[in-house]
Amino acid sequence: MYKIRTLTLIFFSLFISQMEAQQAKSVILIYLDGGPSQTDTFDPKPDAILDIYGNYKNVQPTNVPEIVLAEKFSQLSKIADKYSLIRSMTHGFNGHETGHYAMITGDMSGGSVVYPSFGAAISYKLQNSYKGILPPYVSVVGANTRFNEGGFLGNSFKSFDTKGSPEKQVFEVDGLVNTFVSPESFKERMNLLAGFEMLNKDRMHEVDVVAAQSLRTKNVELISGKLKEVYNLSNETKEMREKYGVNRLGQSCLVARRLVEAGVQVINVRTTGWDTHKVHFQKMNQMLPELDRALWALLTDLDEKGMLQNTIVLCGGEFGRTPRVLWEAPWNGGRSHFGAAFSYLVAGGGFIPGKVIGKTDGTGESILERKVFPSDLIGTVYKLMGIDPYGTLPHAMEGNLPLLPSLDKKGQSNGLLLELIKK
Amino acid sequence: MKFCVIFIVLMLTSEMAMAQNIDAFFVPKGEKSALCSDEVFLRRTYLSVTGKLPQRVKAAEFLNSTDTHKRSKLIDTLLESDEYLTYFGNLWGDMLRIKSEFPSNLWPNGVQAYNRWVHEKLASNTPYHLMVRELLLSKGSNFRVPAVNFYRAFPRKTPDNIYNNIQLLFLGNRKPTDEGKVFFSQLQYKSTKEWKEEIVYVDYRMKPPTNSVLIGDKTLALNENEDWRISYVNWLTEASNKRFAAMMTNRLWYWVLGQGLVNEPDDWGAQNPPSKPELLDYLTKKFVTSDYDMKELVREILKSYAFQCANSGVGTFKPTRLNAEVIVDAIADITGISDQYSSRVPEPFSFFPIGTHAVELGDATVSSSSLELFGRSSRDVSLESQHIKELNARQLLFLMNSSELENKIRKSPMLIELNTKQLPVDEICKAITLTVLSRYPTAAELELYKSYISKNKLTNKQLCYDLIWLELNSTEFLYNH
Repeated sequence: MYKIRTLTLIFFSLFISQMEAQQAKSVILIYLDGGPSQTDTFDPKPDAILDIYGNYKNVQPTNVPEIVLAEKFSQLSKIADKYSLIRSMTHGFNGHETGHYAMITGDMSGGSVVYPSFGAAISYKLQNSYKGILPPYVSVVGANTRFNEGGFLGNSFKSFDTKGSPEKQVFEVDGLVNTFVSPESFKERMNLLAGFEMLNKDRMHEVDVVAAQSLRTKNVELISGKLKEVYNLSNETKEMREKYGVNRLGQSCLVARRLVEAGVQVINVRTTGWDTHKVHFQKMNQMLPELDRALWALLTDLDEKGMLQNTIVLCGGEFGRTPRVLWEAPWNGGRSHFGAAFSYLVAGGGFIPGKVIGKTDGTGESILERKVFPSDLIGTVYKLMGIDPYGTLPHAMEGNLPLLPSLDKKGQSNGLLLELIKK
Repeated sequence: MKFCVIFIVLMLTSEMAMAQNIDAFFVPKGEKSALCSDEVFLRRTYLSVTGKLPQRVKAAEFLNSTDTHKRSKLIDTLLESDEYLTYFGNLWGDMLRIKSEFPSNLWPNGVQAYNRWVHEKLASNTPYHLMVRELLLSKGSNFRVPAVNFYRAFPRKTPDNIYNNIQLLFLGNRKPTDEGKVFFSQLQYKSTKEWKEEIVYVDYRMKPPTNSVLIGDKTLALNENEDWRISYVNWLTEASNKRFAAMMTNRLWYWVLGQGLVNEPDDWGAQNPPSKPELLDYLTKKFVTSDYDMKELVREILKSYAFQCANSGVGTFKPTRLNAEVIVDAIADITGISDQYSSRVPEPFSFFPIGTHAVELGDATVSSSSLELFGRSSRDVSLESQHIKELNARQLLFLMNSSELENKIRKSPMLIELNTKQLPVDEICKAITLTVLSRYPTAAELELYKSYISKNKLTNKQLCYDLIWLELNSTEFLYNH
């Protein structure tokens, strides 16, 4: 008995030493689908020409002297000591699919293997330590379906897509909250279904009937239990809801904070409409203040609740937008896709705040300092989550493949962001 | 003792080899086999041939018919339907990874041309080996010679990637090798002034790096000024290459019956022998003698005991969860309300007409959250396992309690029609069960429903909602069984 215990201890300590020190418990990605302009957000160019800064010549100084934001970020400018900026993100792809794929998986190796999204990879890697009943990886309103985000890990590691509209009175989370059917009617329906299955069990293979029934039982727990309260925003005060902004993005961020409290590992807050080829500035006039408020609210709220140190927050898109504005018709002041140089905001979970990584030139068209590739950012996120970025993932046909094939490869990586993480 | 066993096995084998049809491999001589009921046959056949459920009227027509040849006739009718072409075309699309963007970057024009090509080949029932030859020997513009899209559907168009994909697709070899990549090393790609047009051509100036290549036990020559693909494709598709014919024979068996004689159907080799080698041999020979007639082979399988066996029997029909496209289309057909599909490539987005079925999309870049939920093939790699067939809790959660589904049920034109007709309860149940499960409700079910109605004091309208919900949630609906 004693021996066994010692052995277990030895194994356990070996196991611990193999693991990275885990600083973060959750990741929230605020994904600006379509590609936001870096020039009008995190990398303003007030000293350039009109064709570059467009309608936003003014800038927003912040409470950190080195960090200057574009003019619409009046809230974020107050808390620059809570986040850092990467102004030298690059992958060079100008197509949505390829950009999404590189940014979400970190893979730029160009092989025939399709990698899983980092959310899927994290929930795969940490599946043994995850004890929650909620899915470990949740997309708040709309999963990214532009590539197969489960990759070679398969369907079960894809995110749970809440669907619905958190900004509405009732957030109808897919399968959990249904305004048509009362709890009593639902119970009656389930009884009816059990009766039907009983009558017809001989039509089917018993194993299939039994398996389906046990999955249903699990679901009934979710539907009727307290857990789904995590999505119920009426549990928050009116002030809190307004702090985040009563719009899709703001309320999605509030849901994300609640999911982190409930232990969910990866949350993808997806917001669309950033692909502004035409009349870019009119759209930004509405979207940027919402983003400003939502990000500010999320970061301050997490911080006040003592959760920011364990929660990584990332914000960016699949690429940036051309620094040069297209004034002519049909664009009428638009910006195109730009994968050569764009920005990301990173905060929490072990990321050092108040810093700027990388630098672009006077126009913002090329990177002067410290290129950061998708694998560098995602590898750093893995590290903070206690996952070895140089580890592997199992592939059904090809055995173990590197978790991040591009990491430390020339032209696909510039090394982990060690300068941005706390020792 | 051992000898005795071997002797019996030998006797059985020789008897099977003489068999005139598939049934002899399943049913001992002189015994009667347990066939499935008409209602099971009806649903199975529709789902396996067309990927759709029969319309209510069609189902009733078949079930009420007293024609003793009605099964045969249904098989023949469905094999001539457009739905068969669409459904099997979609399975081919999965194999060939037809997709606008990532990892196959075919672009919508190429996707459209390629799908059209597959559809035409299936419509004219082109022999399999000729179809493969046309694919593998294609050259020219992706818009004008649709088959060249085969050579464009790779994230990295290198000779070894191409060769290994061919090995996987047509021989079931999963293990990558280098031996035959040279046959594809003359292929070159160039763009034109036309947006996204690409010409695939053979560079005849290349000198053969070697005079011959050993493939299996055959030495294939590489000559100057020739397209080297030809010697490989000749070897691949000739009748003496048994594996080539056996691979597709088995794939068709898998498509129809839910599991292959070699299973997974794209994992061949000594490590994974066929479950009934003599049967596979018999079918492969027939396939070759019929000049690689795919439709005939499917017809033979459908008419056999293997397909028509009862669930409780010893047959090989494996109940499988409906494919994502099939389940999503079935819900659209039953409720009369379909999802709106759109392609985000290129911008501005193009929208498919309302009522487009998921099996008709032909492009894995076009998706929906329901298709993702039920595991539609992402067409990342040419493996049948890309089609996810597992049943998971999230899928059931969607069926059990999603507003999305409930909304479709409540807006369903069929239910509105049933309600306005003021039908008696029995008739309502009959119509719904016939629509969703392609059979009549049993007396016990009707009794169950009636006690449910009286307990909950339901109106006919509410009954309709609950019944359609019930049957969509039943295991019977979820599976092709």
